[in-house]
Amino acid sequence: MTTANQATIKDQVRQFIREELASAKGISTFRDDESLMANGVIDSLGVFRLVTFMEENLGVRVGDEEIRAENLESVDKIEQLILSKIKKN
Amino acid sequence: MDFAWTDEQAAFRKEVIRFAQQELNDDMIRRDHDSEFSRSHWNKCADFGIQGLPVPQEYGGGGADTLTTLCALEALGYGCRDNGFLFSLNAHMWTTEIPITAFGSEAQKRRYLPKLISGEWIGLHAMTEPGAGSDAYSLRTRAARKGNCYVLNGTKTFATNAEHGDLFIIFANVDPDLNPNGVSAFLVEKGTPGLIVGKKLHKMGLRTSPIGEIALVDCEIPAENLLDKEGSGQAIFTTSMEWERTCIMASHLGMMQRVMETCIKYARERSQFGQPIGKFSAIGNKIADMDVRLETGRLLLYKAAWLKSQGRHPLRESSIAKLYVSEACIQSCLDAIQIHGGYGYMTDYQIERELRDAVAGKIYSGTSEIQRVIIAGLHGF
Repeated sequence: MTTANQATIKDQVRQFIREELASAKGISTFRDDESLMANGVIDSLGVFRLVTFMEENLGVRVGDEEIRAENLESVDKIEQLILSKIKKN
Repeated sequence: MDFAWTDEQAAFRKEVIRFAQQELNDDMIRRDHDSEFSRSHWNKCADFGIQGLPVPQEYGGGGADTLTTLCALEALGYGCRDNGFLFSLNAHMWTTEIPITAFGSEAQKRRYLPKLISGEWIGLHAMTEPGAGSDAYSLRTRAARKGNCYVLNGTKTFATNAEHGDLFIIFANVDPDLNPNGVSAFLVEKGTPGLIVGKKLHKMGLRTSPIGEIALVDCEIPAENLLDKEGSGQAIFTTSMEWERTCIMASHLGMMQRVMETCIKYARERSQFGQPIGKFSAIGNKIADMDVRLETGRLLLYKAAWLKSQGRHPLRESSIAKLYVSEACIQSCLDAIQIHGGYGYMTDYQIERELRDAVAGKIYSGTSEIQRVIIAGLHGF
């Protein structure tokens, strides 16, 4: 995994969250380390939209037991989850 | 794409149908009338291996894949006329066994799964509250940490299997300020002080499935009975619902096929104006519509199950399938009554019961309205 690819993944995640989840909540900016569950950007349905995005666009499989706040609550944590899966493969 | 069952799955399907027809249909009209749950049928299903189907073999289960499990539940729906009993069975499997299998610690799996698989214990979850139905995560049941324990307080309603339950998965919030992220799941065993199973509720259909209220009054449980971690309640509940929506609807499909075949037989045998009533397009068209609904429902449900078997999360597909099959089932039951005329309205013909049972499908595991909210929500609305 190159730094460029890593940046691309983070960019894609950030873009998806901004365009598909945050905008509908009237939120235009958020930090990469900000809890998107605490600020309401990612609700229970948003979690599954995010997982579907990861599965369909980034080619990773997310297990039931991995769908939890500690893995999905911020852009940084989502990126970590994706990278850990790519490294395993 | 391959739409065929394997030889093994087809043989298993036949075996499940034979078992269900021979063992699970006795005294059905009386049991429905008396709202009687059959513990002996429960034990027979456990001996056959139904309860263990989706659980890994290392815990005593059958280790069946998603599609084989769905195949068995469709066969059960076809062979077993007791839709209420199948509802209880589904609740036990998807809301108790699956969460423990997916989220439980090794110790929790070893302690609970063998009992749930063997039929010794009946499981259930309790999510719905008098003030929290479709808005499930607004629940008011609280779990307060106290040393090495949690203390649960709250009230639950519409808890399937409550009257006969041995293991309760109770959803409670550990910190209301966290809103849905505070919702957590706790394993509570029957007999725990403060766990009070209230009155049995009487209902329109699914009468052989007990449903009731639960009160938690300073119910103290060991901290190790927390399922997974604090805040995992959403993930656990959604996982249960995804399984339930897929597999419980498989039993609906089996029931729809059974009802359609009953109508075909009746339409061939019953003659009016000198010919079988099926020859009249008014009747034949109804049977054709029943067949179209059955086949459409199958395609939707099989796709959702196939995605699940690929390790995907078919929230959209299982919501579409649940919405469609539950509503199609009601329409097919209404058509079945109409085809049978006055006889269809009579209890002895056992079709009016199918309709009463089917109506619940639009309500449990997320109402039709909520399924539409989910589907629209996945498109950003």
